[in-house]
Amino acid sequence: MNTQTLLHRAIAASVTVTAGLALLAPTVALAAGVSAGTLIENTAVASYDDGAGPRTINSNTVTVRVDELLDVTLTSLDPGPVPTRPGEAVLSFELTNQGNGPEAFRLFANPSVAGNDFDVTVTAIAIDSNGNGVYDAGVDEILAEPQTTAELAPDAVVTLFVLVAVPDGVSDTQTSNVELAAEAVTGNGAPGTVFAAAGVDGGDAIVGTTEARAIARGSLVVGITSVGLTKAVSLRDPFGGDSAVPGTIATFTITATVSGSGSVTDLVVTDAIPEGTTYTEGTLALDGAPLTDAADADAGVASNADGIRVEFGPVPGGTVHTITFDVAID
Amino acid sequence: MIPFAKLTIAFAAMALVTMPVQAQQQASPVSLSGDVKAVKVITEADGSERIDLVEPGTIIPGDRLIFGTDYANTGGEAVTNFNVTNPLPAAVRLAPDADPALTVSVDGGKTWGRLADLSVTAADGSGRAATHEDVTHVRWMLASIAPGEKGRLTYPAIIR
Repeated sequence: MNTQTLLHRAIAASVTVTAGLALLAPTVALAAGVSAGTLIENTAVASYDDGAGPRTINSNTVTVRVDELLDVTLTSLDPGPVPTRPGEAVLSFELTNQGNGPEAFRLFANPSVAGNDFDVTVTAIAIDSNGNGVYDAGVDEILAEPQTTAELAPDAVVTLFVLVAVPDGVSDTQTSNVELAAEAVTGNGAPGTVFAAAGVDGGDAIVGTTEARAIARGSLVVGITSVGLTKAVSLRDPFGGDSAVPGTIATFTITATVSGSGSVTDLVVTDAIPEGTTYTEGTLALDGAPLTDAADADAGVASNADGIRVEFGPVPGGTVHTITFDVAID
Repeated sequence: MIPFAKLTIAFAAMALVTMPVQAQQQASPVSLSGDVKAVKVITEADGSERIDLVEPGTIIPGDRLIFGTDYANTGGEAVTNFNVTNPLPAAVRLAPDADPALTVSVDGGKTWGRLADLSVTAADGSGRAATHEDVTHVRWMLASIAPGEKGRLTYPAIIR
């Protein structure tokens, strides 16, 4: 390896280092642009020949500081109206600091929205402290009054929960909206409004296109589901009539009606075999289809000692099921 | 005594740094003076728009700046091969309406040309045409400036 090659290698290495540094330069790719407080420094360099050889001079450096842009967005995270009933309910929202500086946001929850069938009571606003997207009582921080987020970095996103109490006396399918509003603590208003020296490092803060405030709406729908049971009996005596005498077969029909906009889970219907009668094996049926008496894959179990039991699992509102079984009068 | 000693050392250090620079500047027949203006679109009462160059007040991402450099040959002799190189601050990009004939670099000043003739190589080795966002430096080249001649060089930039 001669000296020339070594020199070339040395130049190549130094060039590589320069390129690497250029790549590391903080070309910040935030949605809101470069961070508030960033100094933009510009210096020109001139080289020339004045007859005595090449020379280089620098211009003065001009510096401007990027001011703070105030912008925020807020959206409901609930895919649709949250099914609810009297008691606690949770609405989920997502707040994004769309500005280019660290900013805290004041929050206001309004449960009295025009058009509501009923108004809830807002009990608290909480931050999704553990970031799992679900409100965890005792884990997620309840914001103290005045309800305000921590200072959020540019582009930071937080999930907020509005905890509400649904009053007693609401009826099925009634709806209610809750509005959550957020405002930049530094200030908000018409786009372009300037808050002098209120930004990062004593720079100005200026309101962006979102007006530095946002409102999102969450909604609740009452889903009260009820189950009605009716029981009927028909008799068939050994003589072709309908008198209740020993040997008469009594057919019981239990009608389970699930009504309302929601659904019930784990619906189970049981009935005892009346005293003085004996269950007629193999007569249990659901919606006209026979069920075996044994405890097996089908929904029903029946015996003279324990009566009948039919397990439905979850049943949506607006469903009717009919159970029938026979007993013989002793 | 200790603070005084520190002060003396600080003065000595400043003197060491400042002296050679001053000596060089005093001897230079060429002066360079930089400035920056913000571009403000002002809507007149009749709805028409007027563009003003103002001192940068409140500036935010997306705003437009004009960086300028005034040069002057204050010496008695012409200077030749006068090149002014201006690295773009990382927080700005060259505005799309910059002079297409401007000599630029998109690789940190290694290679130069008109933007339309330059390309950049992505991390995966594929190449693409360079855009205004890729420009790292701008450069002006003047063959010579006569004694007493002065001029102004500018480039428009947009805050990233």
